[in-house]
Amino acid sequence: MKMTVLALLAAAEAIALRQAAEASPIQHVLVQMPLLVLAGVLISWDMRGRRVWAVPLLLTALTAFLFWMLPRSVDWALTPAGETAKYLSLPLLLGVPLRLSWPWLAPVLRGFLKANALSMLGVLGFLYTHAPLRICNSYLVSAQQDLGFAFLQLAVVLACIWAVPVLFGHPRWLPSGSAGCSKCGA
Amino acid sequence: MSTVSENYVPGHAAAAPQAGAVKLTMVLSGAVFALMMVFGLLMRAAQGQWIDLDAALFYQLLTAHGAGMVGTAALSGAAIMWYFCGRHLVLSGGIFWAFLGLFLLGVVLILGAIFIGGYGGAWTFLFPLPALSGGAWEAGAAAAFMLGYTAIGVGFLLYYLELGRRIHARYGSLVRALGWNLILGREDNDPPPPAIVAAAAVTIFNSIGIILGAAVLVASLVHLLVPGFEVDALLAKNLIYFFGHVFINASIYMAVTAVYEILPEYTGKPWKSNRLFAIAWNAVLIFVMAVYWHHLLQDVVMPPWMLVVGQLVSYFSGIPLIAVTAFSTFLYVRGSKMTWDLASSLLVLSVAGWSVGSVPASIDGMISVNKVMHNTMWVPGHFHTYLLLGEVAMAFGFMAWLVRGKTISQMDGLDRAAFVTYLAGAAGFVTVFLFSGAASIPRRWAVHYEEWLAHDRIGTLFGGLVVLGTLVFVLRFAARLGRREG
Ligand code: HEM
Ligand SMILES: [Cu+2]
Repeated sequence: MKMTVLALLAAAEAIALRQAAEASPIQHVLVQMPLLVLAGVLISWDMRGRRVWAVPLLLTALTAFLFWMLPRSVDWALTPAGETAKYLSLPLLLGVPLRLSWPWLAPVLRGFLKANALSMLGVLGFLYTHAPLRICNSYLVSAQQDLGFAFLQLAVVLACIWAVPVLFGHPRWLPSGSAGCSKCGA
Repeated sequence: MSTVSENYVPGHAAAAPQAGAVKLTMVLSGAVFALMMVFGLLMRAAQGQWIDLDAALFYQLLTAHGAGMVGTAALSGAAIMWYFCGRHLVLSGGIFWAFLGLFLLGVVLILGAIFIGGYGGAWTFLFPLPALSGGAWEAGAAAAFMLGYTAIGVGFLLYYLELGRRIHARYGSLVRALGWNLILGREDNDPPPPAIVAAAAVTIFNSIGIILGAAVLVASLVHLLVPGFEVDALLAKNLIYFFGHVFINASIYMAVTAVYEILPEYTGKPWKSNRLFAIAWNAVLIFVMAVYWHHLLQDVVMPPWMLVVGQLVSYFSGIPLIAVTAFSTFLYVRGSKMTWDLASSLLVLSVAGWSVGSVPASIDGMISVNKVMHNTMWVPGHFHTYLLLGEVAMAFGFMAWLVRGKTISQMDGLDRAAFVTYLAGAAGFVTVFLFSGAASIPRRWAVHYEEWLAHDRIGTLFGGLVVLGTLVFVLRFAARLGRREG
């Protein structure tokens, strides 16, 4: 119940950011889109996925992720059709499947996905700061550069968040998940 | 015999799980080492004009030799560390097989890129060379080479994730496995043994190296496919050398676990982690990542403070660890009646070679020296020292130990001959490189001037000895493996 409320809050926040998303790609890609994914994760928080579904669900989530990673999709998300697709697919095809498959993934696979995410954020940061042309037609070149740097900053922050528990041990004040350190991903 | 620590389990009683996979890996490594040495010998003979090699082929061989040797050093080091960590941790065999499979996939891609696609841009794939072949190879060949690296990188990432996860599970945190309790003087009734301290440090810095390396690989791939995307050349160089430096260093830091775990069988004294040992490894962990700037001492556009850090840190990085390891080895060996068989001889030699090799390395890390030495044979001179006489000797020593059996006996005639041949060949070979460097002969030149030929030819002769010794080590290992396994 609590999670459903939070999920709705996240979704509402995402919709409230409509204008901001049009104005700045950072708001769009790094705030609104993650909020939509978060909404999906939270709405399915208390559900239990089945083990056999883990791989198909993960593949669904990765496909959705790859699709929305493309600059072209980001442009498309500002058209009416694309916007609807975004509001539906990010929570339902990315957030929910991710949440349902995650507990079943082998720890090494989880670590691999995280490490890969860091590398890819680095590459995205490079692409957006070095592109010889405007990759998103809806935004200014300067905004594109800012987005590139934001990707890099995000990579650093995520790296710290993921590394600290492994380095220094699970913080005592955090409840440890059912599957050991599943939340911090160790 | 003195007291035996909890973690020290003598003999083969503690036979590691997945010994089969490790042995297979070592056979493969030995074979590739031998093959790549033959490539090296061909290059050296071509430089000395004893044989005629097309320049394009020379650069393909140089690329294969560089990538192949670095890869195999890392592969053998990884197998060694896996084996010994298996004494203290429960490791999943599936991950090791996945690691080996991805590694071999990478090798196939790399060999195809070089010998079918004609890629000859060196193992460092420095931007923008792979894309500027001047017609020598297609973009596809360079892309295949980088995809091969990516496959190997993914394999290593899985390896370190598994290792890191198990260390975390066993010790609660990586810093404890790094011996912070020892350093801070806190009580720890289950202190990490040396192999675990090493594994924790390598896991951390090599994972960082691989994640950054993967980013620059993908960026270079994008550039190959869409040439409009320019990579910032200086940024790319920084990333590549960070990755390259960390990766090749890691191979020695992994292989040295063989010294920590095997020598005690000969000296009778367990090798335990103590405060100094832990401090040295923590210093390595930080400094190995900060010294890569020594590869950029010629890049005047780099911020000067970085280069100064690169120089200063060069002294502090390897030295404490080498000193602690070499000093302990010396003490252990001196105080005991050791039996010198092939394994113990090679392992003690490896510590000496590693220490000696760090001297010319530090010299080259000085900005004033580097100005003249940067692209000379001095550089292959120093790294062949701590690779041939260090990492590779550790790997061969480990192999000799794997097939030793329970009784330790003095070397027989063939072993002794092979050991002496290898030692003399390697020492002579690297000395010639260092002399050539001091004489300002440039590295990576396919065609040499008349005046340099004497160097090249003497080097070739010594190189031949190394190949001979290696063949004996590897064939002996393969033969005994077959005999013992049945
Ligand atoms: C018989 C043994 C060996 C011989 C004859 C040999 C020969 C050579 C030669 C001739 C070069 C090129 C030098 C130049 O720049 O002109 C070279 C480069 C190199 N070697 Fe070796 N080598 C041997 C063993 C090894 C080993 C054991 C390793 C590592 C484990 C190694 C790693 C390298 C690397 C990384 C390079 C640099 C490649 C580059 O410049 O891109 N070599 N070697
Ligand atoms: Cu270096």
